Amino acid sequence: MNQSIKALDDLIVLDLSTSIAAAWCTRLFADFGANVVMIESPDGNPLRRAEPNNSDGSNQFTDHLLSNKKSLQLDLESINGRNLFIDLIAKCDVLVESAVPSQLEKYDLGFDTLHDSFPDLVVLSLTPYGRSNEYSLAPANSLAIAARSGWASINGFEEKGPLSTSSNQSAYCSGVLAYGAALAAVSRTKEESGSGQYVDISEFEVMVSNFAPPALSSEYNGNIAKQKSIHETNLLAGPVSVQDGHFALTLSRAHFFRDAMMVLGLEDLAENLDLHEMWYRMAHKDLWMGRVQDAMSEWTREKLFDELALRRVVAGPVLKMNELVENVHLRERGFWNFLKDDHLQILRPGAPFKLSETPWALEHAAPNIGQHNEEIAHMILQSSATVQSRDGEI
Amino acid sequence: MTGPLKGIRGVVLTQAWAGSYCTELFAMAGADIVQLEVRKRPDSWRGMYTAPMSKSMTEISTARHVWNVNPNFNAVNLGKRSFTLDLSRDKGVEIFKSLVKHADFVAENFSPRVMGNLGFSYEELCEIKPDIILASLSAYGHDGPWCNVPGIGGTIEPTSGMSALLGYGDGVPLNSGVMYPDAVAGLYGFSGLLTALHYRNRTGKGQFVDLSMQEANLANIGEAALEYTQTKQIPNALGNRHKIYAPHGIFPCADSVEGGKKWIAIATETNAQWLALCDISGKSWANNSKFIDNVLRKENEEELNQAISFWTVGQDRDVLSTFLNSKGVIAAPVLNAKEVLNDPVLRSRGVIIELDHPEVGKASQVGAPFHFSKDKISVVRPSPLQGEHSFEIFSELLGMDRDEYEKLVTENISGEGPPE
Repeated sequence: MNQSIKALDDLIVLDLSTSIAAAWCTRLFADFGANVVMIESPDGNPLRRAEPNNSDGSNQFTDHLLSNKKSLQLDLESINGRNLFIDLIAKCDVLVESAVPSQLEKYDLGFDTLHDSFPDLVVLSLTPYGRSNEYSLAPANSLAIAARSGWASINGFEEKGPLSTSSNQSAYCSGVLAYGAALAAVSRTKEESGSGQYVDISEFEVMVSNFAPPALSSEYNGNIAKQKSIHETNLLAGPVSVQDGHFALTLSRAHFFRDAMMVLGLEDLAENLDLHEMWYRMAHKDLWMGRVQDAMSEWTREKLFDELALRRVVAGPVLKMNELVENVHLRERGFWNFLKDDHLQILRPGAPFKLSETPWALEHAAPNIGQHNEEIAHMILQSSATVQSRDGEI
Repeated sequence: MTGPLKGIRGVVLTQAWAGSYCTELFAMAGADIVQLEVRKRPDSWRGMYTAPMSKSMTEISTARHVWNVNPNFNAVNLGKRSFTLDLSRDKGVEIFKSLVKHADFVAENFSPRVMGNLGFSYEELCEIKPDIILASLSAYGHDGPWCNVPGIGGTIEPTSGMSALLGYGDGVPLNSGVMYPDAVAGLYGFSGLLTALHYRNRTGKGQFVDLSMQEANLANIGEAALEYTQTKQIPNALGNRHKIYAPHGIFPCADSVEGGKKWIAIATETNAQWLALCDISGKSWANNSKFIDNVLRKENEEELNQAISFWTVGQDRDVLSTFLNSKGVIAAPVLNAKEVLNDPVLRSRGVIIELDHPEVGKASQVGAPFHFSKDKISVVRPSPLQGEHSFEIFSELLGMDRDEYEKLVTENISGEGPPE
């Protein structure tokens, strides 16, 4: 494996992202080698103004989502800025925008206009609800998307009310799908000249796509998928208490049940052949559920996981972020990374998937606004004589 | 099938949710996905051969085989073609390897050692087709001390950090209503394969895509990971609340919908949104010293949420949501599965589609989540019956004639349903 070979180092992505979702999409492009150029106004990407979490005023959105990218400060309101932007579009393969309403339309650079001049250009739009529909302009965040996509209706307990997905799930899920969809569109342009196109991705629709199994179960069975009752807080519903935290155990197959019972010291349950049948286990939960959970409560997560893993029983401890950072498996897999130029040596989450020949790489911290003005002028425009750098702004 | 990936073929052994969803996205984008199913051990999402037919399916005269009418399988295999082979037989292995010669990629979501045991390791597949791409979606990846530990969505959710971030803020970690980590892994698998395909198209070189479900899901909460490594503060579940903003919650509404109460999500992230919410409510919250700015609203969030709930419980969910949106406030109805399937925007955009399945008949279900202006997704086929396309695939790709196929069926190497 040659560390210097990148899967996407032939691509230039022009990044007008203003949301977590679109910024994650372009971050993936950058991590796999594309030259991602953020176009930033003097105020910078809106993610830079998210509420600060760190003592130096920075925030996780900037550090996480803008790293590996280049920054070009450009005033699109000015004639020169607009012209330079068009020069850049001529050089790029993918143009990503997420503003609602469309920033490109605002500058009279909608897809149809761009396609006439740049027929191979892929324009990717990633917004909460997609373009040109009755929800398009509605403000939304991951909470709203979890509500409208059905996820909040099945998470949590009916006695406690609907429960959103954790953190910014609609943003990250739609970001990665948009990345793939854009690559699919790029593949067409490589095989047929003039086949650039507009790709419209909606955070809402991606989360609905993720919701396909419970949706179809409801359609087939007529029983709407819904939350569990809090009285069903047991190991069939998710993690249960153990000595030092919580632990999930799957007993869907006969050998899982038998071997788990042996590990837990419940030999009589392991030897009860009736309980090896799934339907019987479900119909007679009173025979085993309470005893199993009581036995589990005597174990630590690590010890129980190790014992069950030896027997290939599907199980897993609830790990918090501090434990994941120390997790030996993730360490040995090289999941956690440092930025090469980070003197603070902050660990950062790594590749969502590994490619054997063209590895993911996190190389550069989030740039300052306009940090790459000159480099981009030289590298991409190849016409530095026409570009004047003044106060960090082109 | 149409779409930007028309001309790409995957010969896949994907099953259950993560792998099947990954390759379904390819099929919906126009790729030819031919999926191997092993009759001796049917896809767990088809269910067991001996499982009883659900009550609703017993009322459908065309629903003949329980393994063809499982909503889980039929939700995540749209647009594919299904063939069956017995891979414990030399002839089955030989046919599979012959099909690989016609593939751009192979994908699977077994435990890491399975493909090697079958004789289909990446190196062995490269001997058949040098530029092949193999994507493996496993629980913990192909190396490291946990690589042979089995896992499914219900155990990856805890081990990836997802469960610790899902809950009502009372310290009790939860799993999602269904195995959400599978969906996340499927999305990353789709994109990982497309990254490898892009490189192959440039260079003619294939490669191995090693996707660990744990890592894909941890990457999907990457900002929480960075929050910890930067601040050493362990992020916890916040329920429906936000770390910074208030209000940010789900509130009860008037009336009920089939399956339960009606609820609305409401959030304000700017002062303008807060003032618009106050104005629409007609309440004096904007003048309440406890709610005068976001810091105070966050400090007094419990009281604020009670006040909002007291107001929303008399409001029509959908009318209020639309009105709040029109005034710039973040809001959305909490829709249940049936309401999602009937959403007018999803239907008008072709995300919810009506499909006519050979055994189930007509049903509404979720289709493609992407829109391409040139290569439109015009037709999505229903999920295949087990082995529905075996002869079609063998004939089209290998030139097999009907007699030879019938011999395979007679010898239980291919066919449909439980092997004799």
